[in-house]
Amino acid sequence: MEQNLQKVFKNAMYLPGGRLSGDVFSLIEYKSSHITKWKRFGYLSLSVLSLSGSVLSIKILIEQATRLGFFKYLSLAFSDSGVIALYWKEYVLSLADSLPIASLVVSLFLLFILFISIRRASRQFKSKLSII
Amino acid sequence: MENNDEYLIKEHLGGNQDAFRLLIDRYAPSVYNFSVRFVGLDYGKDIVQDVFVKVWKNIKKFDINRASFKTWILTITRNTVIDYLRKKKSVTFSSLDSDEEPFTDSIEDDVILPDEALIKLEDKELLNNLLNKLPAHYKEVLVLYYQEDMTFNEIGQLLNKPLNTVKSYHHRALKKLKEMIAPKL
Repeated sequence: MEQNLQKVFKNAMYLPGGRLSGDVFSLIEYKSSHITKWKRFGYLSLSVLSLSGSVLSIKILIEQATRLGFFKYLSLAFSDSGVIALYWKEYVLSLADSLPIASLVVSLFLLFILFISIRRASRQFKSKLSII
Repeated sequence: MENNDEYLIKEHLGGNQDAFRLLIDRYAPSVYNFSVRFVGLDYGKDIVQDVFVKVWKNIKKFDINRASFKTWILTITRNTVIDYLRKKKSVTFSSLDSDEEPFTDSIEDDVILPDEALIKLEDKELLNNLLNKLPAHYKEVLVLYYQEDMTFNEIGQLLNKPLNTVKSYHHRALKKLKEMIAPKL
């Protein structure tokens, strides 16, 4: 009976028209390209913003490092390495003290965002039917 | 070339567009047939489109170890149909989540449909009319079992119901079908 019922039920199946699969695929392609377009725009904008932010924060970082004497301490390592070897503990502390930590963290964070957004944007340019 | 669902999903996730197209070709008829049974011919196509957009968006979350792709996609279809009926405030929707108690006694095969009934049911329109008169949860069990070749276990997974409940739905559905067809014999 089961096999007969199966046959009877299969015979009564509603079947889609020939274009259904094609229409579904076209809709998905359309949605995909729409999303890709927005993602591209988003990541490119983020790249531009993080690039300008990185430039600005690196400029501030260099200014602060100069003001705090970080470069002077650093140049000592190349000009007077004998003294550095003798007082290395004090030297490391002074070097760390003259480092503008906050600016350094901000700059590294912005560079990271820049790297990620460029990578994502390039991926969006490469993929046509991207998966969300 | 290997062409099973798992392989096609991997291919799609790897960027092969044709793989997803093959999945659509393979499952669009099942999704369409199931949808049409509950929302009617006019909206079946819309449901199919919604379902495949959901599948496309969530395919990364699909886990082959939890259920087959067919069970997963038909679960999405069922939920989409329920959402659609809920929006339409249709009465049929409530019976899809029936709290009906399963049989506690053993299910005897007392609903064997006689040959004459089977011959009557070969009339496509009659069968579809009878199916439309069945409660929604009975109809879906019959459709999934006989048209989609799913096992009771798979249907249980899909409906989120225990195996015995599914079996009793199937039994009662056949019984009801027999009752409905009897005056016509």
